[in-house]
Amino acid sequence: MEYISPEGLRLDGRRPLEMRQLHAQLGVVDKADGSAIFEMGNTKVIAAVYGPHEVQSKNQQLPDQALVRCEYSMANFSTGDRPRRSKGDRRATEISLVIRQTMEAAILTHLMPRTQIDIFVQVLQADGGTRAACINAATLAIADAGIPMCDLVTSCAAGYLNNMNYMEDSAGGPDVTVGLMTKMDKLTLLQMDSKLPMDIFETVMQLAIEGCKAIVRYIQNILLENTKQLEYQRGLRS
Amino acid sequence: MGMEEYMTPGEIVGKSYNYIAGPGTYLNPSNSTIYACAVGLKRTIPASANAEDKRPTVEVVKEKEHGAVPEPGAIVTARVTKVMARLASMNIICVGTRAVKEKFAGTVRQQDVRATEIDKVDMYASFRPGDIIRAEVVSTFTKNELGVVSAESIAGAAMIPISWTEMQCPLTNQIERRKVARAV
Repeated sequence: MEYISPEGLRLDGRRPLEMRQLHAQLGVVDKADGSAIFEMGNTKVIAAVYGPHEVQSKNQQLPDQALVRCEYSMANFSTGDRPRRSKGDRRATEISLVIRQTMEAAILTHLMPRTQIDIFVQVLQADGGTRAACINAATLAIADAGIPMCDLVTSCAAGYLNNMNYMEDSAGGPDVTVGLMTKMDKLTLLQMDSKLPMDIFETVMQLAIEGCKAIVRYIQNILLENTKQLEYQRGLRS
Repeated sequence: MGMEEYMTPGEIVGKSYNYIAGPGTYLNPSNSTIYACAVGLKRTIPASANAEDKRPTVEVVKEKEHGAVPEPGAIVTARVTKVMARLASMNIICVGTRAVKEKFAGTVRQQDVRATEIDKVDMYASFRPGDIIRAEVVSTFTKNELGVVSAESIAGAAMIPISWTEMQCPLTNQIERRKVARAV
């Protein structure tokens, strides 16, 4: 299988360091406090955020900060074969934990003590990099809900190629997922599959970080456009 | 409106020796920088004339406010759901002037209903289920001291308060006992 053609193009026609096309929409779920759809190429993810609201089980209430809960699930139709997935399967539990820890680092939880924030992310179409797309969608949804964050968290996965799709991911090569708070220049997530020589690891991590910075520029534009649209509709500006 | 500057979370708003961090922003003490924590328009409010601190306050005005949350000291509006011998349960519907997005549960203890003769308070003569009350949040587990703002009589009409402890129904002229809140 040829992952890069002799002309230097990948299976989907991209250059080795090129990112997939990004697309995002805010406010897609009316009932939710904040929601967003995020697409990276063919990977489509929807996130809905509820909160801050009263904690459902009083014994889990935290006296000085908000409780952040996250649930990741994949729709049955999201992959090529359509298995019956159970909500508690190990991969979903792991990714839920990862997304929760990543977002909790960015949300200013001490401003909302004794409350709960729920983040639900569901993968509608999986084509590699679902974890990263979920974090990006969650960031957009939390910003849409007006929940205070110290910085925007973006995420990107890279290996020898940047932002791999499902075919390239299944090749078994290294896959480094990075979650970055761009303005503070701080990592909130670093995960890797497979093995990588130490000297190449730095390069691959830098590649993923570059991807994160490109995504944050796009996300900022989306948030500002959405705010201007809302103000226009409310008649605050013409 | 002046220069319009939109901010997203994480963007630098100013330095802490020039500004006070207002709502929508937060201060990072290690580098004395104020960052935005919400998406919105940056607004600078000059300090009031007699304030000690002459720095203007900078804030980021959000389009969507996240739901109101009751905090100790806040005045809330609630509907009574259950009345028992020593406490009454209620659902909080407004915090200050803002309605909550999802309900919060609260309780009133017998000793918090009034300031004097707290052992002799008859809960059932102070509130009935369905009354709208105004209360102050006393502590974290939302125990409150309060009074009835609006109540419906047995006949179904909105009652008129006639004293600290009585309300009258305009249709039947029947008087019912309640602990009435002071008008605001």
